[in-house]
Amino acid sequence: MNRFARALPDLARVAFAGVVTYRAEMAIWILATTLPLVMLAVWDAVVAEGPVAGFDGSGVARYFFATLIVRQLTGVWLLWELSQEIRSGSLSIKLLRPQNPLLYHALQMLLALPLRLVVLAPILVVFAALRPELVWWASPAQWGLFLVTTALAWWITFGVQALIGMVSFWADKADGLFGVWFTFWMLASGYMIPFAFLPEVARDALFWLPFRATLALPIEVWTGTLPVADAGPDVAVQLVWSLGLALAVAAMWRRGLARYGAFGA
Amino acid sequence: MIEVDGVSKVYRAVEREPGLSGALRSLWNRKTRDVAAVTDLHFSVAAGEAVGLLGPNGAGKTTTLKMLTGLLHPTTGRLRVAGHRPQDREVAFLGSIALVMGQKQQLIADLPATDTFLLHRALYDLNRTTWRATVDELVEALGIGEEVSRPVRTLSLGQRMRCELAVALLHRPTVLFLDEPTVGLDVEVTVALRAFLARYRARTGATLVLTSHDMGDVGALVERILLVDRGRLRFDGPIDGFRARFGSGRRLVVRGADLALNDLGFVLEGAQRWVATVPVAEANGLLARVLQRHPAADLTVHDPPLDEVLAAAFGEGRRT
Repeated sequence: MNRFARALPDLARVAFAGVVTYRAEMAIWILATTLPLVMLAVWDAVVAEGPVAGFDGSGVARYFFATLIVRQLTGVWLLWELSQEIRSGSLSIKLLRPQNPLLYHALQMLLALPLRLVVLAPILVVFAALRPELVWWASPAQWGLFLVTTALAWWITFGVQALIGMVSFWADKADGLFGVWFTFWMLASGYMIPFAFLPEVARDALFWLPFRATLALPIEVWTGTLPVADAGPDVAVQLVWSLGLALAVAAMWRRGLARYGAFGA
Repeated sequence: MIEVDGVSKVYRAVEREPGLSGALRSLWNRKTRDVAAVTDLHFSVAAGEAVGLLGPNGAGKTTTLKMLTGLLHPTTGRLRVAGHRPQDREVAFLGSIALVMGQKQQLIADLPATDTFLLHRALYDLNRTTWRATVDELVEALGIGEEVSRPVRTLSLGQRMRCELAVALLHRPTVLFLDEPTVGLDVEVTVALRAFLARYRARTGATLVLTSHDMGDVGALVERILLVDRGRLRFDGPIDGFRARFGSGRRLVVRGADLALNDLGFVLEGAQRWVATVPVAEANGLLARVLQRHPAADLTVHDPPLDEVLAAAFGEGRRT
């Protein structure tokens, strides 16, 4: 068993203790990310007069119900943690330890997932009761690909936030840059507008960008609007972004630490 | 254990004029200035030795300490600690050192210290049995049996520092860097921490590098002083040598009521304590005159306090 595998259970235990300690704050954050329910009401009204791009009322309901869940499963708040640690110098203490500090952050964010689902569960149950068409059965292949694409979506979200957070090695504040990313993300990830509703030219352009890979892809696989048999190109793009981000994060971390070591820790 | 060979550290500092016009000008005309934090440092520390890295604020002590722990990279020169180049941050190196900073904490503020102990075990890949034994030993020695199970943010500064020391020593480091470890602590806690550290070093043979403005820490914990001023090493030697080099003389203390010593240069400190500091060459003469006048006087001769010696050393540094 390697060093990381041996460390994992205790790291997880402490990370989970942290998650439980900040449960109230996290619950508020989770409840603050229920925008998909608002979007559901908006698009529900639009499709009431007739299906749009193949979506009827139940299709829209399923889409935003899935959006709500995938958004929670891919929730990451690394940017703020990392940026604060770099600017305050508290990263120094973590750099003296023989494990990469990003690892502990990743674990803490992954271990928050069960808590996120627990907080979300009552909302899901209520809506499932009000809209029975929200309950659908996905095939084993759909479930399998959904889990893989959701895991990669989480990693891309984590990687993007790591890159933006590491900008603090060079600039005073990275939050503004994240604001730009988040604005594009809201429009281009499928969070507010399902991809099928976008003009074809926009869909073609966004296909190659990372936004879709962070949210719309797992949603479409899960709800069946993207058949598993046709998902190959989308998953390939997601894999390329995942790999590219892994390399970019590793390179920027090395350069960032060199900068941190040159200009003051 | 520690080798520092011609090490310099230069920062590039950004300079900006105050106010809105300064802010706007800095957008297209960014001025920078190179600041030499440390210049051409040479020293070595043997295994098991305890040294005090002293100097006024901004002298380069913390920069040196951060270079020794790998947090800062030297601009020029060569550094080796426990056989490693610190900036490479090799696992074996990080596992052999500990840095305790009085101003920064590694304990997780909202969790009990025991959770950070557990995290430490995972991060340093410590054997569970050895780790458990070390935890028990440190908790006992530092007297923190009750404190370790309370959230760290609810602890007093003294309790927190004891827990900080415990977590820093869990992996049994062979080189211990202490940066102002007793800053802000009350006398009782300070004395207890010093005693613990002295016992720990005696028992483990760990090498110790201390920076502190508290000369009590220096006197209690180190045998050798490295005086850094404006980034340069101005003195390297034992404490006695430091006193001899910078100390202004001997301190004569006479205890007793109804003594008349004003005319001999003594000053009354408290109700019955007369004190005079004189050059070493004049100490015996003054001693004889006091005894001639008050043959039964309770008289003692001391080296000057380290605080005074250090203040004299800083003053000399400023004049040169």
